[in-house]
Amino acid sequence: MPQSYLPAAFGDLEPYLEWSLATEQLRSAKRQTSSIETLRAFYAAMMPRMDAVLAFLAGFSPQAVTDDGVTALFFMTLSLAEIAPAVENYGQPSVIDGYDVARFVAVHV
Amino acid sequence: MATIPKTQAPSWTERYPELGTGPLPVEPYISPAYFALERERIFRKVWLNVGRVEQIPKPGDYFVKDLAVCKTSVLVVRGKDGVIRAFHNMCSHRGNQLVWNTRGSCRAFTCKFHGWTYALEGALHQVTDEESFFDIEKTKLGMSPIALDSWEGFIFINVSAEPAQSLHDYLGEDFNASIAGYPFADLSGNCFSWYTDVNANWKVAHDAFAEIYHIPTLHRRMIGDVYASKTNPYAHALEFKVFGRHARVSLSANPDRQATAVETLAGRFGDVVLQQVNSDASAFPKGVNPSGYPNWSFDGLAVFPNCLIYVSQGTYLTHIFWPLAEDRCRWEIRTYAPPAENMAQRFAQEYGKCSFRDTLLEDGSTLERTQTMLMSGVKQEIYLQDQELILRHRLMVAQSYIDGRA
Repeated sequence: MPQSYLPAAFGDLEPYLEWSLATEQLRSAKRQTSSIETLRAFYAAMMPRMDAVLAFLAGFSPQAVTDDGVTALFFMTLSLAEIAPAVENYGQPSVIDGYDVARFVAVHV
Repeated sequence: MATIPKTQAPSWTERYPELGTGPLPVEPYISPAYFALERERIFRKVWLNVGRVEQIPKPGDYFVKDLAVCKTSVLVVRGKDGVIRAFHNMCSHRGNQLVWNTRGSCRAFTCKFHGWTYALEGALHQVTDEESFFDIEKTKLGMSPIALDSWEGFIFINVSAEPAQSLHDYLGEDFNASIAGYPFADLSGNCFSWYTDVNANWKVAHDAFAEIYHIPTLHRRMIGDVYASKTNPYAHALEFKVFGRHARVSLSANPDRQATAVETLAGRFGDVVLQQVNSDASAFPKGVNPSGYPNWSFDGLAVFPNCLIYVSQGTYLTHIFWPLAEDRCRWEIRTYAPPAENMAQRFAQEYGKCSFRDTLLEDGSTLERTQTMLMSGVKQEIYLQDQELILRHRLMVAQSYIDGRA
């Protein structure tokens, strides 16, 4: 991965590019198979940058998803949305006492 | 600050004396015989919500709904004339299922078995090697139609040969009027949906989403303070109303809700599913937020027998529960919002979607556990409080169909 893959202003988030995942299924699977420490590290890296990230992404259409750094950054924010309940509400990767998320079939992506 | 009016005597339930206030039988939740009666006397007789018009916007667009409870597979298709029709998904030759995928678009339907071809409007077009058949009348061998009508963009079907009443009459004038004008079409551009097959009676699943009583307990980690507040600790409803076989509940929001950091971020860019606060619904028809409460959250519409529609500011959602057996059902969830205009809005929607899904997973855990214990036969009755009125009402309406009184 070239060092400037993410938009230049967000190069500091490159260590978390593994969270650039295109579908809910992929993002959910990564959440469920990560430790809570891993989720917290990603959350801690993203949150101080989210004001700037969202101000930047507000200039792009979600239909314009391509194989570039803007899309990668966008997918990372969707991963933040995915893991937020784990970090903020549950303190563990999965829903506490939750129904098996793998049995929930997403019809969308 | 506005406070929730205390429920005046009589209770909401006692305002509808036909509902009674006593315990209710477990049998409808576990009995194969009762399930067979529900199938014959309810699901094969009434109008059922199978989707929305936006799923099939263009002529030739179709989707297939396997309705085990009606013992059929239903093909819903928009014809070249723009009209949406429903058919039993069956070839007139020897009965093969005509369409095998769940959705698509085509110019005509061709059976994979022997190649018989049907027009989008149902007529039998072409029979392979027709000369070798004996006196077949193609005009009588089109796909078998199913009654279909739409309401506020929702597609309803009725598999009975001659529906007892129109969809309009089935829903009822007051119910129609209460929600007419809510911007369903404007909010339907972006649908996130899931389904899951649950080892529980469809009513166990339905009931879990037809009352708010459980939220401060079961959902204390996710949405415990969205509806419950210091002045309304048990999240009592603003209003219940029965519309014949259907019903509605209206909910307030807690204006002092403590949003998490990510929810706060998301809230700057869009309406988060079922977590908005302080909306007054003033732009909506007067049947929405019927009490005009300033911190309104959402209204839940219970469309008999198996559909719940929750309408709120900027988003709405549906739960539909399809019976598979007395102890199994398919639970379908669809959330709707306008298409995101930019990637930041899409992030907000994703948070709404994920936090809502996780909340549903909390609900999901109760369903099979409840079914297992109901089927133990240890207890023969369940007990409902005033705020569980919609469950009591649905059980009563179902019984009236079972008894032939509906």
